[in-house]
Amino acid sequence: MYRLLEFLRKIHVLLIFILLECVAIHFYANSTPYTRARLLSASNAVVGTIYRAAAGVRCYFGLGRENRHLTEEIIRLRNELDIYRLAFEEKQLQALRDTVISPYDYLPARVVHNSIGRQENFLTLNKGMRDGVRENMAVLTPNGAMVGYVLSCSDRYAVCISLLNTSFRASGRLASSDHFGSISWPGIDSRRIRLSEIPKYAHVIPGDTILTTDYSFYFPSGIPIGRVVDYKSVEETASYDISVEPFADFSTLKEVILVGNDDSYERMMLENETIGPDR
Amino acid sequence: MYDALKYILLFVLTLLLQLFFFNALQLGPYVTPLVYIAFIVLLPMKMPPLYVLLSGLLMGVLMDIGMGTAGLNTIATLLTAYARIWILNLIVGKEYVSEGGIPGIASIGRKKFLRYAGIMTLLQCAVFFPFETMNGNLFLHTLLRIIASWAITLLFVWLIALVFTHNNIRSQN
Repeated sequence: MYRLLEFLRKIHVLLIFILLECVAIHFYANSTPYTRARLLSASNAVVGTIYRAAAGVRCYFGLGRENRHLTEEIIRLRNELDIYRLAFEEKQLQALRDTVISPYDYLPARVVHNSIGRQENFLTLNKGMRDGVRENMAVLTPNGAMVGYVLSCSDRYAVCISLLNTSFRASGRLASSDHFGSISWPGIDSRRIRLSEIPKYAHVIPGDTILTTDYSFYFPSGIPIGRVVDYKSVEETASYDISVEPFADFSTLKEVILVGNDDSYERMMLENETIGPDR
Repeated sequence: MYDALKYILLFVLTLLLQLFFFNALQLGPYVTPLVYIAFIVLLPMKMPPLYVLLSGLLMGVLMDIGMGTAGLNTIATLLTAYARIWILNLIVGKEYVSEGGIPGIASIGRKKFLRYAGIMTLLQCAVFFPFETMNGNLFLHTLLRIIASWAITLLFVWLIALVFTHNNIRSQN
């Protein structure tokens, strides 16, 4: 008995090490992107303020480019406004307003923390529940290209899964032919994402645009995702794997637009009731 | 002998540096410096292994919360903290370790410190990145990430050790 105790005393550090390591591995193996986003949300209560200050400094240095973008945007909107003015004069806008009710609402936000070098990259935005951010809202660049969606939000911050996250999944379709497949990130290059499961008989043209489909809970239909760069065939599944250059440049991302879909909750509830949550 | 306050300061400093400087640096897909390990590297040589392990646990858990990695940093840091005494005994020598003191550049010599800190940081990177990827297909990519991140991590651990032990020598005089 004494010997056993002596032996245990000798290896107690090893035992504690093994125990702690097992707990850590268990926790890590069972974590999901949601767990990680919740951890980030929790730490943002403390570190968010500092991230925001740092992002403020970075923003200051990007003001020149920001100004140029704004000017371009103003010109584009002016042009659009002219078109609407014409339409209004022709009494067409009134008719439009009566028939179309958009289910989407929009909200601008600033990126206060972002990473591209990890396997699981997340973005932290400076808007939270207080500002009307909800989970599952789509995140787009100011030009409207896909960035990710909101996983978790606190009062003042929102943590979003980035397109550059190996757990990210969305559906995408070829603009020219409407064939659709699954969008994911292989985890290597921040300028290349993958569109897989495109059937072999589809006609893939390099340079073609990839858009979101109508099936997504998170993204409105027709949101631009990226441009086809290259493709290769996968023999086992008789399909194409397409290499796509995303339109969003994550390394310079500062401002984003959040898009909420008022109908998505109703749709999710209905589909869960009918088909079950594990679709 | 060793100043607890100085170590608390080092802990807070490496933590803040990692969270607000190194994690915000975007050095491309291959480089993610894990500089917070400098704290474990610089702990007193005579510190009981259990305390080193618990320091590693605390650092790992705080990093996991701050980086949103749910256990990844803890897994790597625990192993590095546990292996530290073996690495120290191997590189610096048992007799010297039992005398205590900080395993700094001046105290154990440049060559030995480079080997000691090199093995410690390599161990940290060699556990962190494969666990993060969890995908055998990305073997080469992961290997490149380990090597590139290791080199940068070692460089900054060296710099932190320089600053930390420099102050120490001055305060002893």
